[in-house]
Amino acid sequence: MYITGWTVLLAALGAVPAAITQDRGVTWLWMLAVVALALIDAGLAPKPSTLGVRRTVPGSVRLTESTTGSVTVVNNGRRRVRGAVRDAWQPSAGASSTRHRLNLAGGVRATFDTHFHPTRRGDRHADRITVRLQGPLRLGGRQQSIVVSDTLRVLPEFASRRHLPSRLQRLREIDGQSAVQLKGAGSEFDSLREYVIGDDVRSIDWRGTARRADVVVRTYRPERDRRVFIVLDTSRLSAARVGDAPRLDASIEATLLLTALATRAGDRVQVTAYDRVERARALGTTGAGVMPQLASALAGVEPELLEPDWPGVVRLVQGRLSQRSLVVLLTTIDTSTADSGLLEAVAALSQSHVVMVASVNDPEVERMLKGRDDAHELYAAGAAARGALERDTVSTRLRQLTAEVVTASPDDLAPAVADRYLALKAAGRL
Amino acid sequence: MSIDADQRGYVSATAGPTITARARRSPLLFVGLALFAIIITILVTQSRPADNQDLSIENSAPNGSRAVAQILRDQGVGVRQVNLLGDAHIEDPEHTTLVIVAGSSYLSSAQSDSVAGYPGDIVYLGLTAESLEAADPDLYVDYAEPGTAVVANCADPDAVAAEETRTGQDSISTGGLAVPQAELCFPDANGGYAYARVETSHGSRTFIANPTIASNDKLDELGNAALALRTMGHHESVTWYVGSYADTTTLTWGEDGSAPDRITANPNFLPPGTADALFALGLAALVAAFWRARRFGPLVTEPLPVVVRSSEATRGRARLYRRARATGRSTAAIRGLIALRMGQRLGVPRAAGKAGLLEAIARATGRASGDVESLLYGPPPANETAMMHLVERLDQLESEVHRP
Repeated sequence: MYITGWTVLLAALGAVPAAITQDRGVTWLWMLAVVALALIDAGLAPKPSTLGVRRTVPGSVRLTESTTGSVTVVNNGRRRVRGAVRDAWQPSAGASSTRHRLNLAGGVRATFDTHFHPTRRGDRHADRITVRLQGPLRLGGRQQSIVVSDTLRVLPEFASRRHLPSRLQRLREIDGQSAVQLKGAGSEFDSLREYVIGDDVRSIDWRGTARRADVVVRTYRPERDRRVFIVLDTSRLSAARVGDAPRLDASIEATLLLTALATRAGDRVQVTAYDRVERARALGTTGAGVMPQLASALAGVEPELLEPDWPGVVRLVQGRLSQRSLVVLLTTIDTSTADSGLLEAVAALSQSHVVMVASVNDPEVERMLKGRDDAHELYAAGAAARGALERDTVSTRLRQLTAEVVTASPDDLAPAVADRYLALKAAGRL
Repeated sequence: MSIDADQRGYVSATAGPTITARARRSPLLFVGLALFAIIITILVTQSRPADNQDLSIENSAPNGSRAVAQILRDQGVGVRQVNLLGDAHIEDPEHTTLVIVAGSSYLSSAQSDSVAGYPGDIVYLGLTAESLEAADPDLYVDYAEPGTAVVANCADPDAVAAEETRTGQDSISTGGLAVPQAELCFPDANGGYAYARVETSHGSRTFIANPTIASNDKLDELGNAALALRTMGHHESVTWYVGSYADTTTLTWGEDGSAPDRITANPNFLPPGTADALFALGLAALVAAFWRARRFGPLVTEPLPVVVRSSEATRGRARLYRRARATGRSTAAIRGLIALRMGQRLGVPRAAGKAGLLEAIARATGRASGDVESLLYGPPPANETAMMHLVERLDQLESEVHRP
């Protein structure tokens, strides 16, 4: 049941007879008549159950991009139906043009577009579809909300994908490097080429040299089919905001870039989001399916206000990895993380794997460090310096445990992690 | 039909429970609603604005004067009350007694003047100086001792019939020696009178100094009833006016002194019916409120994430430092960080220790080692000014190290 603006207009017109007769009774009668008319009109409106509604939602959309869904309304009755339809979504789905006028003859259907420009990552849920059916006098009508549950998956933005071409270029350079000094048994034979002065004489391939007139050397390429295991820390510190987004978002960006790069490099990537239990995982896929699977898995990951369970992470990693791998821990370096068992976890993992610990620096704290204007800013600078020293201590201890430590501002974390990966690859440490 | 084939995937609204089903499920709600509606209806239909004005003929309380009006009506006298002086459409002044209930504070001089010219009989319940003077210039308002019983002691038939009444707050005074034309009755010990009757060219003017004789609770005392009923009952109709601050209108008359066809309220700039039109518009606004208040479907909630700034811990620590004026601790941290950065810049291994770092810095900047030592490892600054100076010099030192 609802009334329209026409009812209000009709009620306001009651001022004319009121002014002429100067009688309150006439006014009351007029108003009662208007309300009664509106009620009768609503009663005469077609029943909402004669309509069928269907929503079509695009499967997923990347954050900051737009997409379009639709609502189809079918009139199952014989009467013409006038009114309106509203496609309700939660605000962060960024749905626009959600209200449409309805004018359907019997047995006809119509489709209305809803545009989305989501403002938050994750699963954005649709609410009800509400229909309003107008009565013949257009004074009132029936309204009903129909529960139709749908979900729009909003994938992480992956803003760092603009860094990917330059990193792939660098990867190719590493690939092309001749006779990389490789240690250990992991180096892979690639091809033979002519000896040039400066090549390591130990890499001369004597068989090949014997078959040909020239001296040839074996070239190697970086190992392929290495394993990279990325652990996203979703515990309480990942909820803290750096700039506009939580730390976790920077970690997700880094995960996406590193996965894209490592997959192209021929490595196999496993990702897990973990605090006290595993929140999401992406593993076992190769080739073109990796990135969509990963983006979809990470879409719904939210920070949890829990202490991280580092021994649990160690058990998970050791359970999933059988050979020497690169383990990337995307977490926060802080005195409290040191106390929470990160150091012990890194010590345990670095026995059998290469460990990289990546952390987001807060640009606001960096700014506080530079404050010199008055005593307040100096105290702030002192506090920031104390924090920086504490983080440096933890970083130093991590390095002593042979872990690689990467700290960068949120926008720079993804390329910094990718660069460190490339550096490890170039050094043949994987 | 083709629609049937396409119907898969469509969701239809399920018909909600009917009103009877809802009533069966939660009868209390409906009983409550019905009671509410009934009570509101009763209140709206039954309620009249309670009249508690002194000496109003609609007021049945002790301070009202409904009794007088009812008795007059029983005796065949039409009694009508007007709330605005301007609304008193008196068609036949010859046969209408105008009763003015107004102490001096309720009747403005303009109103008094307009009333004084009324071409018929007037009974004043309560005195105003202007109306007394207009009737007879020799009469004044004086104070009286309230509650004293006084006897008529005059020739006025109404007063004689009443025999006895009581004085109120005011009395009518002759102001000494002058002999007024008025018939004065009910003299008191102070030389005042409680009743006066003046025959003027317009008509008779009767003054009753104590207005409460016409009130519901005092009417049956002594001769009050007789006095009130006789003075007001000379003609077949009575127009009763109770003065109030809210009324600023006056009685107006035509050029020739006769009552005009239509007496307009003064001042009244708005066209007639404005109030009713506004009332109707007010009701329309209520309808508009219902129109806008009905949502097009329920509000959709958004589960909001926690917003904790990462820098909050650092800011909290800064506030602690500031509150404690911890210049030493704050400076130590800044010194430590600057030393760390310079050490990294100069490639001094951690193992080199303090001496190695100082030597490297001294070499890089060309400063004396003791100078650098006092900057980096000197005593903590005593106050904020000293801290600012020290940090400034530390920045200077660092910039020298970082200079290419």
